[in-house]
Amino acid sequence: MKTFLAVMGRELSSLFRLPVGWIVIALYAFLTGVIFATQILRPGEAATMRQFFGVAGWLLIPVAPAISMRLFADEARSGTLETLMTSPVTDLAVVLGKFGGAAAFLIAMLAPTLVHVGLLAAFSEPRPDLGPIVAGYLSVLLLGMMFLAAGAFFSSLTSNQTLAFLASLFFLLFLLMVSLLGGYEAPVWLQGPLRTLAIAPRLTDFAKGVIDVSHVVFFLTLTGWFLVLTYLSLGSRRWR
Amino acid sequence: MLSVHSVSKRFGGLQAVLNVSFDLRRGEVVGLLGPNGAGKTTTIRMISGYVPPDSGRVEVDGHDTLSDSLAARRALGYLPESAPLYGEMKTADYLDYRGRLFGMPRAARRAAIDRVIGRCWLGDVRRRRVGELSKGYKQRVGLAAAMLHGPGLLILDEPTNGLDPTQIRETRALIRELGREHSVLLSSHVLPEVEMTCDRVIVLARGEVRADERLAELVARHGSAEVIIEVSDPPGGPEGARRVLAGAAGVAGVARVERDGQQPGEAGWSRWRVAVETANGSGRDLREPLARAAASAGLVVRELRREAVSLERLFASMIVSQPGDDERTTVHPAADPAEGRR
Repeated sequence: MKTFLAVMGRELSSLFRLPVGWIVIALYAFLTGVIFATQILRPGEAATMRQFFGVAGWLLIPVAPAISMRLFADEARSGTLETLMTSPVTDLAVVLGKFGGAAAFLIAMLAPTLVHVGLLAAFSEPRPDLGPIVAGYLSVLLLGMMFLAAGAFFSSLTSNQTLAFLASLFFLLFLLMVSLLGGYEAPVWLQGPLRTLAIAPRLTDFAKGVIDVSHVVFFLTLTGWFLVLTYLSLGSRRWR
Repeated sequence: MLSVHSVSKRFGGLQAVLNVSFDLRRGEVVGLLGPNGAGKTTTIRMISGYVPPDSGRVEVDGHDTLSDSLAARRALGYLPESAPLYGEMKTADYLDYRGRLFGMPRAARRAAIDRVIGRCWLGDVRRRRVGELSKGYKQRVGLAAAMLHGPGLLILDEPTNGLDPTQIRETRALIRELGREHSVLLSSHVLPEVEMTCDRVIVLARGEVRADERLAELVARHGSAEVIIEVSDPPGGPEGARRVLAGAAGVAGVARVERDGQQPGEAGWSRWRVAVETANGSGRDLREPLARAAASAGLVVRELRREAVSLERLFASMIVSQPGDDERTTVHPAADPAEGRR
């Protein structure tokens, strides 16, 4: 547990020590700010952040891989993975610690957008309904965690950050495509699985303020599976 | 402290390490020598638990590196080749992180960090980012991190790589000192380093142990201690000098040495490399018989010294004599994909 916290703390603080962390935070804050200022904070509009969460979620497609690409690839390149894996730390603590650090960074990245909620509450009459806002943040967080777990897996496969970034990006774009096409073009036997994989309808439910347990379980399950794959990939040097 | 029981490792079609066994007692400093591709790094990685052996086993301080892996890793301080570090961290923060990975409580961590910073002369760079440091400082940060938790066994893969002469001298002295509290396994290419620091050497070649003994014994058995002598030419010219030197007791062969390989040397003087007759007491000091022979023939000796045995020559004499080696490749495989790309 202590070693897990050590790994997580180092991962999180490293993101803040590197330019990539600040660039990601700044870009994310800027783009979500633009959406908020132009789409949400308009006279006469209903006090809802629905559109905001749509954009905040899909913006994670380029952002999450930028956070996760370093996780293992950079350590494999620099050789620090060898010092880490020969310390008395279990593979599980390494995987969870690194993922935890990335997830904590995601929260740090989302935190500035709470300003928007404050502004909306201050300037709109009647007050915005907090239910959909809480559900919206939950959906962005769950989506981001799933993206980061996938990115961690791709990062564990290579010692090249760029490759890890591209692999995660293409994978997330593929998920987006599946969501948008809804699988109607696919052969009949594939339509069921593809529709299960579609993310957009689930996000729509969250945006309505509905926290459906099945959606939560869906995101957490995918996150868990990617972490298991990462764990296996990290241990694979033992039999490769 | 460390026992390696006939470990083997194969990468694809290449036998990187074959049936390697050796032991390290507490407080012993042992050099692991061998040409590139001899299997040193693979052996070290099997000891550190980074790659498991295909067969055989390794015990660190009585803990099996596979079945009791965490305890084995706790007893071990490991500095991989090229001292990998997190460039964005400050020296003290990095050491603190390493201490946390080894489960050291805060107070013990602080004391240990102060201690290793003092011993590795890192006081000046305590608050500097590791990525900005010179190669020598980085190497010392890696060394400090390896010894931070007071491990029983220190494994140092080429610890003086990239250091300047002063730092090399200081690091060797430090390793010698560390040998009093820790067992040290040191891999190196540099013979003087091994001579200064190690009680014993293990020579690997093509994945197998070729020697495991005190360095002096190894040199006596394999290294021909040659003598360089410069004498005035007798009336018979340089050929006469050669005959005189070859007549001294214990001389196996005499060869002319040209100065720096090109200059023909001063007229009236000639330099010779005299090899020892290995059959009759190898490693014998031939300086005295040579000086006597020269004096009785009326030659003036202007220079007379023993030539230090180079590690390369030692390896060559050990490896060449092994039959059936030639068809095997000596290319060392990357033990992980990262190494190949480095």
